[in-house]
Amino acid sequence: MTAGFGGFVARARAAGRLVVQPRMGFSDTATMRAGLLATKRVPATTVGTLTLDSYTRVNDIAAADHALAEGIPLNGYPIVSYGPERTATVLDGIRDAGFPVQVRHGSARPQDIVRASLAAGLDATEGGPVSYCLPYSRMPLTDAVRNWSHTADILATAPNAHVETFGGCMLGQLCPPSMLVALSVLEGLFFVQHGLRSVSLSYAQQVDAEQDEEAVHALRRLAADLLPGVDWHVVVYTYMGLYPTTPHGAAALLESSARLAVRSGAARLIVKTAAEARRIPTIAENVDALTLAAEVAAATRWADDEPDAADTTVHTEARAIVTAVLGLAHTVAEALPAAFRLGYLDVPYCLHPDNAGRATSEIDPTGRLRWAATGSLPFRARPAAAGRGPTSAGLLAALSHTQRRFDGLPATAGAADRPVLGAQMTITTPGPTSTYLPPSPPEHLASPVTRAALRVQQQVLTAARSFLAGDGFIELLPPVIGPVTDPGVRGSKQLDVDYYGHRYKLMTSGILYKQASLLAFDKLFFIAPNVRAEPVETCNTRRHLAEFHQIDVEISGGTRADARRLAERLLVHVVRHVLRTAGDDLAALGRDPVVFAELLREPFDVLTHAEAVAALHDLQYPQSTDAEIEWEGEELLSHKARRPFFVTDYPKGSRGFYDRENPESPGTLRNFDLIVPGGYGELVSGSERESDYATIVTRMRETGENPAKYRWYLDMVRDGIPASAGFGMGLERLTRFLTGLDSVWQVNAYPKVPGLVAP
Amino acid sequence: MMMSSPSGEPVVISGTSSDSHTWNLVYLQLLVRELGHPVLNLGPCVPDDLLVAECARTGPRLVVISTVNGHGYADAVRVAPRLRARRELAGTRLVIGGKLGIHGAAAARRRDQLVAAGFDRVYEETELAAFADDLARLRVGVAS
Ligand code: B12
Repeated sequence: MTAGFGGFVARARAAGRLVVQPRMGFSDTATMRAGLLATKRVPATTVGTLTLDSYTRVNDIAAADHALAEGIPLNGYPIVSYGPERTATVLDGIRDAGFPVQVRHGSARPQDIVRASLAAGLDATEGGPVSYCLPYSRMPLTDAVRNWSHTADILATAPNAHVETFGGCMLGQLCPPSMLVALSVLEGLFFVQHGLRSVSLSYAQQVDAEQDEEAVHALRRLAADLLPGVDWHVVVYTYMGLYPTTPHGAAALLESSARLAVRSGAARLIVKTAAEARRIPTIAENVDALTLAAEVAAATRWADDEPDAADTTVHTEARAIVTAVLGLAHTVAEALPAAFRLGYLDVPYCLHPDNAGRATSEIDPTGRLRWAATGSLPFRARPAAAGRGPTSAGLLAALSHTQRRFDGLPATAGAADRPVLGAQMTITTPGPTSTYLPPSPPEHLASPVTRAALRVQQQVLTAARSFLAGDGFIELLPPVIGPVTDPGVRGSKQLDVDYYGHRYKLMTSGILYKQASLLAFDKLFFIAPNVRAEPVETCNTRRHLAEFHQIDVEISGGTRADARRLAERLLVHVVRHVLRTAGDDLAALGRDPVVFAELLREPFDVLTHAEAVAALHDLQYPQSTDAEIEWEGEELLSHKARRPFFVTDYPKGSRGFYDRENPESPGTLRNFDLIVPGGYGELVSGSERESDYATIVTRMRETGENPAKYRWYLDMVRDGIPASAGFGMGLERLTRFLTGLDSVWQVNAYPKVPGLVAP
Repeated sequence: MMMSSPSGEPVVISGTSSDSHTWNLVYLQLLVRELGHPVLNLGPCVPDDLLVAECARTGPRLVVISTVNGHGYADAVRVAPRLRARRELAGTRLVIGGKLGIHGAAAARRRDQLVAAGFDRVYEETELAAFADDLARLRVGVAS
């Protein structure tokens, strides 16, 4: 393992400890020394920082000297003005093998800074030919590249030198993660090509936690491919844009960055303080931030050692950029200016004259940062947004998106966060009174609401299929008719068909065939059409259709907990996918993605049937303790809930014979329903299955079923079928929940509302 | 880095010599343009010489210094007299705003010294409404 800064971080990482570091810099030497000492004493694995002042960064040493002489405080430590001896006294007795100190600056001409640092024994620093030019200087990029090549050569003479790229931050905000990842990797490679053997690659937290994790994984994957044999680690920066102003908002954002670092497998975190939005923080504020970050990190589970190999958008785009840039020349140093000239590298909102400025970004309706226009980037993200740059208010809304979210203010004040959508058609949904009954089929099919809902449904299906297939489930095509079907459905009737003189049934659910199919596959699912002649009273519940579909899943050997967890993961996956892919349709339907925020935070809550009944009694709702929860009761609970929740342990008698009875608590079933919030009610119904022949026959009798009718099924069960657990998720109900439409028929192309004669 | 827009002498927007922050400049450029003024945005890290030369060349209707890095006070006190020393800029309206020092909201003393150095108005970072009002009035003045 390497010595020096890189080795220190590697050892901490191997021990499972996140290194936390401040962005600290004071112009007063005594304060600077006190700050380093305080950082060292934080009960966590810390490294120290000397952040340099702005005059030193722009090589205006005279101005720094002048300010020091006049006693005007600077925004950082003026290392060149003080010189190596003074700096050595600041570090004396503090910096040691267990407490490395890094110099952070932001200079496009850093030779003097690096010489002053090395002379004081400071061999760890930060920078990059692009990232210390575009956001920090007016200097032409080619000059900055030359300066940084020279600087890297100087650094490479120090045996344990370590350099961190700043490419993962750039302007701090509104630069899509793929560009940050690509720049960080390219700068890392730039340093390695100049002979440095220990580098860190930065990534600054952006606007979406999941996207950020994908970005760090992409960064690790690219680094593993491109920096073999080099000591490297990933450093995450707590949010570098407009920071929350409230103490709770600042803390929450810091905490989320600590979780990001650990979950994504970074090794080091550079924190922000509660004073960030206002002024240079004090030592105490830095100590608080370091302490909090270390606590949160210690309580978070580490990512796997191997980076996630998923081909996320971030990864695909970043790899395309890196590949295109590396193809331009033999060295990164030569390739970078060419790449900017060609627009392969292009940083949104950057004023530097060497930046093409054709690529633009936006925060999409799901809260991710994405390309709005890709200019000459080596990929096409999506159709270019219609012209018009942002307004001042629109820009400020996008810049303050995270600030407002964490301060608890409305995250989207105005259409500003989604400039592209503003230009799109808005569909007005019919008012609630008109939605009980569908219009004529042609009118329904041609309606923009139906079409938007069906597009959302398509994404639901795509997501469900890829999620389940990815988890090893095989999709089978279910039968439509059979001699018997699922009897266990509340109040609904079965429909008959004449099958060569036999009375066959249209499937009310696929349960019997799902259990049968366990003989072929351990994990399987249907997208099953079901027909249930629901009672006419349900025609205005807004969530019943006589003909509908279920995503019907079964797991051999599974427990109820397995089925529940799978249903939860499936739902979260589908919601995420839809938010990402159908954002425009959701926006057009007026569905605010904010309503899903709570849902995306798994796990869901669990109530037993008895607790649900008690909750209803508390709400003065007269629910029977030993029966199925009534439609209205369920809707009431759903309205009260802020997040989805499971109801488990329904009493026997309320459900079908295949729901296994709990041996520890006879009379209750090992089953569950999943209720979603907002009055949308039950979405999933599932259970651990009964697979024992005798028990099934008994249960059939108890529920008034004639076992003789189930001959094919019982014959099979007698010979033995695997124990299992599974569930059915209502496809139309799920689509309704996602679209926020008033009635479930609105999301079906050919709706059959119970009791209504319809084509 | 210089972004100009057509018709008439511009509102010059500029960072200070040591300040590399740009979001403030991009934001102000959009705002001023929306209020109907042509803009010349000189960008960040503008050396004193360049600021003086560009102002002298374009004869701006207003010069807006925006700075947030905490050196604003020191940088602005230094450059204002240099602008005022040019005869053609002696009467030009010159304002400043942002985060001027490293200790949060600007002290009254600092404000007085900036005015003494040649600024017509010092805005707190929250005084955007007042700034917009002043810009609206400026337009009326130009039209009449
Ligand atoms: C993004 C950012 C960066 C990016 C900038 C990229 C770029 N090219 O712009 C990076 C990471 C590169 C960066 C670097 C630095 N930064 Co910085 N940065 C920020 C941050 C996080 C957000 C700034 C931002 O984007 N604001 C968005 C714009 C729209 O808002 P604004 O700038 O505040 O402007 C608003 C108001 O101030 C006001 N306003 C501004 N100008 C004017 C003018 C007039 C006339 C009026 C009426 C109003 C007005 O209106 C604007 C709209 O509301 C802030 C902290 C924060 N606010 O959360 C720190 C912050 C501004 N940075 C700070 C510092 C010190 C630096 C550095 C010196 C590094 C360091 N020592 O920490 C370097 C700068 C080097 C240099 N040469 O100057 C300090 C300034 C401290 C102070 N003033 O007390 C801050 C406050 C962070 C902190 N608490 O330490 N930074």
